[in-house]
Amino acid sequence: MKGGEWGIYIALYFWLAAMGGGAFLISLGFKDRRTRLLGAWLALIGIVAGALLLIVDLGQPARFWHLLVGIHPVSVMWLGSAVLALSGLGLFLLIISKEWPEWLVWTTAILVLLVVGYTGVLLMATSRPFWSGSPLLPWIFLASAYTTGAALLVLFGNHDPRLRKLSFNFAIIEVLLVIAHLIWAYSQAKPEVNSLISGEYAWAFWSFIIIGVLIPLYMEAQRKALALAAALVLLGGFLLRYFIVYAGQLGVMRF
Amino acid sequence: MPKANDHAILFDASHCTGCRACQVACKQWNDLPAEATVNTGSYENPPSLSADTWIRMKFTEGVQQGQVFWDFTRDACMHCTSAACVEACPTGAVNYREGGVVTVDDNWCIGCRNCVQACPYDAIHFNEQKGVVEKCTLCYDRVSSGLEPACVKACPTGALHSGTYAEMKDLANKRLQELKAAGYKEANIYGLNEMGGTHVLYVLLKHPSTYGLPVGLTTESKKVASGWLSAGIAAAVLGFAGVKWLADRRNEVGGES
Repeated sequence: MKGGEWGIYIALYFWLAAMGGGAFLISLGFKDRRTRLLGAWLALIGIVAGALLLIVDLGQPARFWHLLVGIHPVSVMWLGSAVLALSGLGLFLLIISKEWPEWLVWTTAILVLLVVGYTGVLLMATSRPFWSGSPLLPWIFLASAYTTGAALLVLFGNHDPRLRKLSFNFAIIEVLLVIAHLIWAYSQAKPEVNSLISGEYAWAFWSFIIIGVLIPLYMEAQRKALALAAALVLLGGFLLRYFIVYAGQLGVMRF
Repeated sequence: MPKANDHAILFDASHCTGCRACQVACKQWNDLPAEATVNTGSYENPPSLSADTWIRMKFTEGVQQGQVFWDFTRDACMHCTSAACVEACPTGAVNYREGGVVTVDDNWCIGCRNCVQACPYDAIHFNEQKGVVEKCTLCYDRVSSGLEPACVKACPTGALHSGTYAEMKDLANKRLQELKAAGYKEANIYGLNEMGGTHVLYVLLKHPSTYGLPVGLTTESKKVASGWLSAGIAAAVLGFAGVKWLADRRNEVGGES
């Protein structure tokens, strides 16, 4: 096995951080403290669990602190670890505060938005043709953060119909963005796109489309088994990260 | 651009016979283990660079207009002036050293592999045993003591040269003129503009893309800038959709109460 590849921990991290972050951002649209606190908890758990996965994935986990003692703003990896640490701090402060000061809510919201968005930039700024073949990865990850974030709040017992509507709308936007990305990147990343349509990762791609999007959309339209629909949306969010991370690295040999 | 007195290597494809003495010398000097590979129907071996193979000869072979062609190009770190690996590194472990050489500080590298993803030459790789990335050092230990890099020292045909960047550039231009005069109309120099100018220059007989060399490269900082721009627009557009949803929701809630 050739070294140097990002694998399952990275896909899991992308999923957890976006799902929790999305839930927090959406919960800010609610007035009640209970929902907002739930959002903050979900984001903190997602971000802490994700950060632990990132550290375990390092070749030298005990050196993770090297990330925090220098300033390397061009490195998306560095900026990502900085916003990850700071957003975790912001969420922690919110959770222990009785009153939520406006400035802290805003600062944390922007940090969480950066956590969700930087992952797309990280993949775009590589030499992998499938990741850098279109500027749409940050869009896809952001849309998926809303889809899975809303579904996560539904799963935790929030029955506001507008929450399901949000998840519904963003799921459609997300699928359109994924299709646009495949078409846009095709000229540079034919083997990667083909692996998704009919090759090595077709199972993940089509499972995402059918189990992660179409079936939940149908269930939502039929108002049936909504908790199960939300769970399928979360599974779809993971499959999306999985095939983007794995198929993106098929283009290793370019020389 | 590289500075005139920077360390540099020139690879002259018109003199290379594909003997791979450079590959062997690199393994010996840097104490790198051999690789178990399989025959893929080409004399090219191993099939790609890795943490244990820092230089290899790329064989481009086939039939063109009834003529057999068999060309050899060097595949190793180019020691870019605007190196994607350096700009992608979140700790500063991969960095420029004196004389424009790019090396990895293996006591500081955390093994995140962002550089592996960023390099347009696939020239830096993760060593799973050591937990850090590794690549060609331009024999920094040798050149800083006035010796030639091991690959250059071993080359028996004069396809590899080393010296200052200015010397190598002059030599490349001289060789290009000779080749053009000898009828090689497509002859060209690769590496003058790629990634801010590379410290390894190639004199090639055919267009770089013939050998799979990347052309029209974008520097890492430009990729990062366009990435953030796209993410910013995404946040504004998709964020707006979310805000609108919230605003509608509040109106509705307000209307109900």
